[in-house]
Formats: sequence, C-alpha cells, structure tokens
Amino acid sequence: MSAVLASQDRPQARWAGSRDALHSEWTKLRTITGPGLALIAAIALTAALGAIAANAAGCQARGCQIDPAKVSLTGIYLGQAIVAIVAVTVVGGEYSTGMIRLTLTAVPRRWQVLAAKAAVVSAATLAAGAVAVLGSLLAGRLLLYGHGFTPAHGYEPLSLGTAAVLRAAAGSVLYLVLIALLALGVTTAVRDSAVGTGLVLGLLYLFPIVSAVVPDRTLARHLEQAAPMTAGLWIQATRGLRSLPLTPWQGLGVLALWALGAMIIGAAVLRLRDA
Amino acid sequence: MEATIEVTGLRKRFGSTLALDGMTFLVAPGQVTGFVGPNGAGKSTTMRVILGLDKADAGSALIGGQPYASLRRPLSHVGSLLDAAALQPSRSARNHLLWLAHSQGLSAKRADEVIERAGLASAARRRAGGYSLGMRQRLGIAAALLGDPPVLMFDEPFNGMDPEGIVWMRGFLKALAAQGRAVLVSSHLMSELEDTADHLVVVGRGRVIADAGVADLIAAASADRVTVRTTARGDAMTALARAGAEVAATGPDVLTVSNLTPESIVGLLSENAIPFTELSAHRASLEEAYMELTRDSVEFRAEAAR
Amino acid sequence: MSVITPYRTELSSSRDGFAQLLRAEWTKFRTVRGWVIGTVVGALIIVGLGVLTASKSMCSIATVTRQNPNPVFHACPAPATGPGGEWVTDSFYFVRQPLAGNGGLTVRITSLTGLYSTHGGLPSGGNLLAGMTRGVQPWSKAGIIIKASTRRGSAYAAMMVTGSHGVRMQWNFTHDVAGTAGKVSAASPRWLRLTRSGDVISGYDSADGRHWTLVGRAVLAGLPATAQAGLFAATPGYTVNSTSLGGTSSVGGPALATATFDRVSRQGTWPAGRWTGQDIQAPVDSALPRSVQGFTQGRGRFTVSGSGDIAPADSASQVEHTLGGAFAGLIAMVVIGVMFVTAEYRRGLIRTTLTASPRRGRVLAAKAIVLAAVTFVAGLVAAAITIPISEHLLRANGNPISPLSAATLLRVTAGTAALLAVGAVLAVAVGTLLRRSAAAVTAVIAGVVLPYLLAVISGVLPAGAEEWLVRVTPAAGFAVQQGAPAYHQVVATYTPGTGYFPLAPWAGFAVLCAWAAVLVTLAAFRLRRSDA
Repeated sequence: MSAVLASQDRPQARWAGSRDALHSEWTKLRTITGPGLALIAAIALTAALGAIAANAAGCQARGCQIDPAKVSLTGIYLGQAIVAIVAVTVVGGEYSTGMIRLTLTAVPRRWQVLAAKAAVVSAATLAAGAVAVLGSLLAGRLLLYGHGFTPAHGYEPLSLGTAAVLRAAAGSVLYLVLIALLALGVTTAVRDSAVGTGLVLGLLYLFPIVSAVVPDRTLARHLEQAAPMTAGLWIQATRGLRSLPLTPWQGLGVLALWALGAMIIGAAVLRLRDA
Repeated sequence: MEATIEVTGLRKRFGSTLALDGMTFLVAPGQVTGFVGPNGAGKSTTMRVILGLDKADAGSALIGGQPYASLRRPLSHVGSLLDAAALQPSRSARNHLLWLAHSQGLSAKRADEVIERAGLASAARRRAGGYSLGMRQRLGIAAALLGDPPVLMFDEPFNGMDPEGIVWMRGFLKALAAQGRAVLVSSHLMSELEDTADHLVVVGRGRVIADAGVADLIAAASADRVTVRTTARGDAMTALARAGAEVAATGPDVLTVSNLTPESIVGLLSENAIPFTELSAHRASLEEAYMELTRDSVEFRAEAAR
Repeated sequence: MSVITPYRTELSSSRDGFAQLLRAEWTKFRTVRGWVIGTVVGALIIVGLGVLTASKSMCSIATVTRQNPNPVFHACPAPATGPGGEWVTDSFYFVRQPLAGNGGLTVRITSLTGLYSTHGGLPSGGNLLAGMTRGVQPWSKAGIIIKASTRRGSAYAAMMVTGSHGVRMQWNFTHDVAGTAGKVSAASPRWLRLTRSGDVISGYDSADGRHWTLVGRAVLAGLPATAQAGLFAATPGYTVNSTSLGGTSSVGGPALATATFDRVSRQGTWPAGRWTGQDIQAPVDSALPRSVQGFTQGRGRFTVSGSGDIAPADSASQVEHTLGGAFAGLIAMVVIGVMFVTAEYRRGLIRTTLTASPRRGRVLAAKAIVLAAVTFVAGLVAAAITIPISEHLLRANGNPISPLSAATLLRVTAGTAALLAVGAVLAVAVGTLLRRSAAAVTAVIAGVVLPYLLAVISGVLPAGAEEWLVRVTPAAGFAVQQGAPAYHQVVATYTPGTGYFPLAPWAGFAVLCAWAAVLVTLAAFRLRRSDA
C-alpha cells in the first residue's frame, strides 16, 4: 500500500470529481428505505386522489366547464407534498445527524454536492412522477367516461395522443421535479428539515389562499401570476386557456424561476457558511 | 511533496469568542503527533479548518503543501475521524462506507477491506443506529482509512473504547505511523498518549504552548522529584542545596529533592557520608507535564467536590 | 474502623408535580432563541398579511350619466342595515297606503310569473324586456307587507308566495317561516293576511279564503303608529354558479317578477284612500330600472311588477378576511411544535427529559400545554392588532365595513387564536408519533391547511367533495373565522372562499379538537411504549 502522495495529482479541472459525487449521492439515496417508500406512497396517493376527484365530477350536458385532464391530475396536490419531504430530507437529514461534515470532507467542492443531490433527487422524482401521472390519467380516463364526459357532451376520452393532454402530463411531471428542486434549495439555505418543510409548503400555499381571499381582483390576478404553485399548475389546463392569466408554459416557467432562485440561495449559503 | 500537515498563523473568531489565535504547527510523517489541550483550546476548530469545513479569518492550513479544497479525491490524501456519531441511523455501516467509497471513485471491495481491517465484519450489515460507542468509533476509523491516505487525523479516537479496544487502537496508530504516514491524534487521555505519541503539540487558548517530543516535554517538566529517606536530614539538605537542588522536607526523615538526577544525588550523599535508607525517583508523567504547561490556559475548571 | 455517614443533601426539598413539569417545559421553550423568534415571526406574518390585503383592497363605484359620459368614481356605498344591524338588501316595488294604528290587509294572489336575463347587463335603449326568458326564480317573492316606513332597512313583516318555496312569512330580513307549499296559479290561488296589533304582526294563509292558518307572529319593536302597508313584488336576479379553472364564475342577469292580486280587503284605519306605487331601490342594486317596474290597477285587480330582494345581504365581512393570514401563522407554529418534539430526539436529549420526568404522558401533556398557551397568546395578540388596523385601512380605501357584533368579533379573534393553538398541539402529537421532522410538518399541514386551500381555491374539487373535506378534516376548525351566518332564504355564494363554512363555528372547532384529542392519545401511547 502506497503511503506517498501521487505526484501527478494537481489542482484539477472544474468538473473533475462530479461523477464520483453523483455516484455517492445516488448510493446515499438508495441505501435507506425512507425515500423509496415515500415515492411509492406519492404515486399511490396521487393516483388515488385523482381517482376520487374524477369520480366526483359529473357532466350533464354540453358546455360543462370542467377540464378532464386537470381533474384527473388533482392528486398532484398530495404528490407534491411527499416529493417535497423527500427532497427536504436529502439535505436536512445530513445536517441533523452531522453527516454534512463527512460529506463535505469527501467532496470539498460544495457546489458539486448540491448539484449531485439535485440531479439524484430530480431523477427519482421524474421516475416516480411519470408513473403517478400516467396512473392518474388512466384512472381518469376510465372513470370520467361513466360520469358523462362522453363525446356527446363534447369530451374525447383522455389520451396522450392529444397535444394538450400530453402537455398536461409531461408538464405535471416537470412540475414535481421543480417542486423537489425548490424544496432542496430552500432546505439547503435554512439547514433544517422542519423549517425547510414549513417554508416550502408555506410558500406554495400562501399565494393561492391570499389571492382567493383578497377582494381586489387585479391584485389577485397578479398574485396568481407570481405564485409558484398556482402558476405552475396552469400547465395542467387543457380547456379555457384563454381565461388564464399566463400561458401554461409561462406558468411553469414561473415555478422554474422560483426553484432556480432557491437553488442559488442554497448554494450561496452552503458555500459561505461553516459546515 | 511530503505527507505533512502544515498549519500557519490560524486565526478564527466565533462571535465574541476567539477560538484560534495564531495557531502554528507542523505534523511530520513517520510519527504519531498528539494534539492536546484543555477544553476550548481550539483543537476541534483547528481540525475543521484543516479539512476546509470552517473558514479561518487569517492564516493557512496545508496538506502536503496544498489547501484541502484543491485536493483531488481528498480522502486519498487525508483520512479523518471528527465525530463518530455523524451517521444516518437507518443506514448500515457497509452502506455508509459504500457511499463514501463511491465519492472517491473507489469500489465496494475497498469498503469491505476497511471493514475487515477495523474489525467490524460481523456487524457491517446492521443499521448503524444500533451501534455501541466503540463500534461507531471503529466505523469512523474504517472511513478514515478508506482512501489509504498518507495523512490521518483523529479527534478523540479513544473515546468509548473498552480496554481491549484501547490496546488495539494504540498498536494500530503506531503501526500507521511506522508505515511513514503522518498521524495527528487529539486526546484528553494523557496516559494513552504517553504510550502512543512520539511528538506532542500542546495548545491552549487558541495557540500552541509547546511543540516538542514527548520525552523532551516530560524531562522539561519540573516535576522530576527524588524522594530521599535519611536520618541526617539537616546535613543532607545542606549538601543538596549547595549543589543547586530544591529541597523540601516532607516528613520527619523524608526529603523531596528536585533539579538533580538520582545518580548525582547518590553521588553527593556518598561524598558527604550522609547515610540514607531509601532513594526513589519519581518520573514526571505526561499528565503532570501537561498540567503544568496548561495551568494558565484552562478555561473551564470545576470545583473540587466538597 | 470508621463509620461512614451516608450523604445528606443540603438542598431544601422541592416538589416534583405537574406544575414543575410545565415550568420546565416552558423554560425549555423560551430558552431557544430560534423558537421564540419563530413565534414572533408567525404573529407578524398574520398581521402583515392582514394589513397588506386591507391596504390593497379598494372599492369604488363608477357612475356614468347621460350628461357626463366619463365615469366618476365614488367610494362604495354601504348597503342598508336592518333592524338587527346586519347588512340587508331592501329593494322591491311597493304599492302602498299608510295604515294608522291596528288593522290588517287581506289579498288573494292568482299568479306569479317572471322574466329573467341570462347574459347579464341590460340591453340599452329600446325594449328592455325583449330577449328575456320566461321563468320565476326560486326566491321570487310577491305578497303583502307592513313596513315601518319606506326607508331601506326599516322593520317589516310580510306574507308572500315564492317561486319554488311556497308561501312564506318573513320579517326583519333574517326571519323566515314556511307556510303552505306549492306554486300559485289561477287554479290554486293563495290567500294571504297580515294583521297588526300594536307591535305584533300576525300572518295567515289560506287556500280558499275561509279557513285560515296562522303562519307566524312577528314582534317588531318600536313600530310607529302609522306604518306603510300594501302589496309588493320583488325577485333576486338569475344566477348560475359554475366552478371552473379560473374560479367560481357567476353567470346571470337581472330578473323581473309580476304578480296578480285581487280580492283586496283592508281592516283598520287607512287615511289616504288611494294606492301609491313606489320603487324601493338603492342606486346600485342589480334591479331593473324604474321604467319596467310598476303596477296597474283596474276593477279590483292589481298587477305588480318588481325586481330586487328583501333579504340579508352578503356581508362576509372584509374584516374577518383580514385574518385570512391565520393559515400562515399556523404553518409557522406547526414547524415550531414539531421542532419542540423532534429536537429532543436529535442528540438523545429525550433521555435526559424522561429521566427527570419518568411519567411520559405528563411530559407530552406539558409540552402540548406550553406550546398551546404560547401559540394562543401570540395568535390573540396578532388578531387583536390586525383587526383594528385593517378596519381602518379598509375604510380609508372606500370599503363599506359590515357591522360585526361584539360577540362575533370576539369569537373570530379568540377563535383564530384557539385554532392556531390546537394546530400547534396537533404538531406536538404528530411529531411524537412520527419522530421525523419533515414528515410530521407535512402531515399536519396537509391535514389542516391543504383541505382549507382546496376548498378556498374553487375549481379544483367538485362542490360536494369540497364541502365534505371541510367538514371532516381538521381544516373544519377554520369555521371559527366565519363572521356572518348563511341564510337559506338567500341565494349567494356560500363557500369557504367567500368566508362561509358548512359547519357552525364551534362545531367546526370541535372537529379540529377531536382530531387533536385522538392524535395526542395515540402519541401518548407511542411515547409510553417505545424506547427513548
């Protein structure tokens, strides 16, 4: 066993070590049972809530204002909460056990740690989200037909072949990934699981509730346009697009900006503070 | 580049507390360097600064001439054990070492090797939350060895070890140093360091008080005493005092002599035909040397039990 | 052989009861700077959100006249207030004569028809009624009324037939009693009678004019000696509420009701001798203009057409809405509550706690009580600050403030603080059960705030599911914030989004408390059973 420093190690290129950081974060995620079970629960709850909502919807005649894709994807309200838990714990758990120091000793370039966590969490959320969304749409397709959402009333069966439905589906999966990144960034900034969770959920729920309660409709509209959850969920709309304050992709873009902002702040805190 | 830790002029303030106040020392390869000091002297802070976890306000800490942040595959340059409890309770020990190995591009095989070396093979697949103190220490040591580094840093590694574990650890650290590695060990257990360390860095109030070999430190301590039992107390005291020793009468026929070696005392007494019935040399322990050195630096002193 | 005396402590003996445990937990709480600051922040968020929404809520009315086509903005006028102090809509067509002293009025109604507009707004010029659809509204009303004066909001008692709720007696806007059911037509007419005796007005109905049934007795305190009595017709507008992506939308338009009366007979002293027709209408009611309302009289028969409503107005007070930030304060206290528990498990502090106080149920109770008390006080202070400031700001911005009785205001304020306190107790319980911070915070917020959110943002869930959620989940507790009651005789958007909850305030709060009780019991069970 060599005990002498290899002389060819030099201060290295920026990206060196990223692959190893990624590998170690993936190993961390897969070697505890929590995240896996949580994501399975997220899939189940998303599909279940979507099925319940689809079951309760009804259309008696032509001209119902109901959006079948959005109704089927109602479960995303629960799914996003669980995805947020997983992302929060990936960072918060390191701080609560003190393991963050070990991590930063193994990977001293702190931005690599955050980037690797982001990549791993995004991938896991993408996979789970895709299954959840597909399950929800399937349940919706089966249930809604029996509740009056028939071609006679102007509704085609839900199908991914429709551009709007495909956008709603893919956008919902992306929505979940962005929520995970938002949670990751916020928790890295505050370094605590409970506070991180509270901040993320508070941020998501603040805008819709305030805008629903505020009597001034112009202010309400502006709040909705700036809201991470409300604007982000416009990606699910397949009908009545003209009444939305922003286009679906613009809405998702608002959430993307929030997630980006959170990650930047988180990275800054990680870099500047003592471990 | 040598396997060294080079700390120069570290200064760090936490709020109103000055934790490091110009800390400077060098850890050389091939020996075990003990890092001792009273509580709050800045030992853990120094180690965290060396590992790039905390940022010093001034000064530098270099591993083999490079700062930690610029090391590629850092665990193959420095292995460290700071806090053995920094574990995810629901993860097994093997998986803990596995993610660490992966972060350095090492394989599961390497993780198994160090598990074996640390003596944890039977418990490796159990969740770490159920480990005893001693097992957690061994896991931490295994993690430090993962990259087979030439520099090793251990913060209080003897904590929680049973006697058998302490014996193992002692031999282990010396063997590591004998391989040419630089080993830095911080500890409060003077008795252990006395048998393990070759070189000592004594710190207090954020700066280095003494930086010398163990033998030199002990010798420098003025606690070397010789106890002489003699009936001719007065004559003995005169003779010894004239030779420059510090003599104290500590009993009806007992003298405690400092500043002279036992051999010279025997010579002096024989020369002056002063009979004595007992001569015992009391060699200062490292603990006494340390207490004397750090007397002024102790921040937290408990009152003796009433 | 020396004898060793056993060690005797010099400390004076102290107690180890529940009060001491409470004090210990309170000390634990107040000595963590982060938690104290977090509580203050939670209270500040409530105040901040309330003040922000109040300062941004403007209400103004634009009036356009033929002479001046530019819109002129005024502050929103306050609706009329009824005898009980509540906001009312008092708009109808009144065919009246003064009635001096005691007396009565009897009529027969042979038809009630109506027109309504589906597309909102009024066609300009020409025939207003062209293009309106035939049909009565469920609460179209026509009949006889004795009213203190023609001032909007004055006391009254009325007997009427309605579009689909049969004969009703209504008085002073909030009271409604049912009489004979069924629609009125020429084949099945209805006879209505009101008699005044002092301050008491009795209403009777009959199917044949001979056999009369007493429907109700109204006591109108302070009814003047001479009251106005006569025939009236009114109808609220046509509304269809639909929920869709953009929110609840109400489609509708104004409506007109026309009723035919005959066999009018009067008892008592009626000084004037002739009928006067008057349109009781506020400048901005959604009633049809004066030109289409009116009455005709001929050969003992009257045809009265009117628009508007005599009912309580939607007075979900904006003042309670300013406490809508309560959910955010709740989130903050839930986070602190969970941390209060999980922090003990972090470095094994729980062992120190349980060694000092081995009776685990008490430890849990003490934590819950301390946190509930802190949260209640913080919430009360926040609400007490928010409401006066918000009311001032709302008034300054031209919003009419509906009068809330002192009891209601107290209930809303203390209820909000209590809601926060019980939410914090839920957090302690769930934190003890789950022991994982992120999961516990999410579980409580998903149980308490998410249903409220889904109910408030309309268009997410179908109406039935929404109502069920707000009855069954802990979010039912938000009902304490309801300021004004819902009336069945009014068609309005009674949803949590507008401040109306399906359960009565204390019923909703009881649901929340029931959840807390169950979860605390489970948590105590877990705490006792498991290793520390």
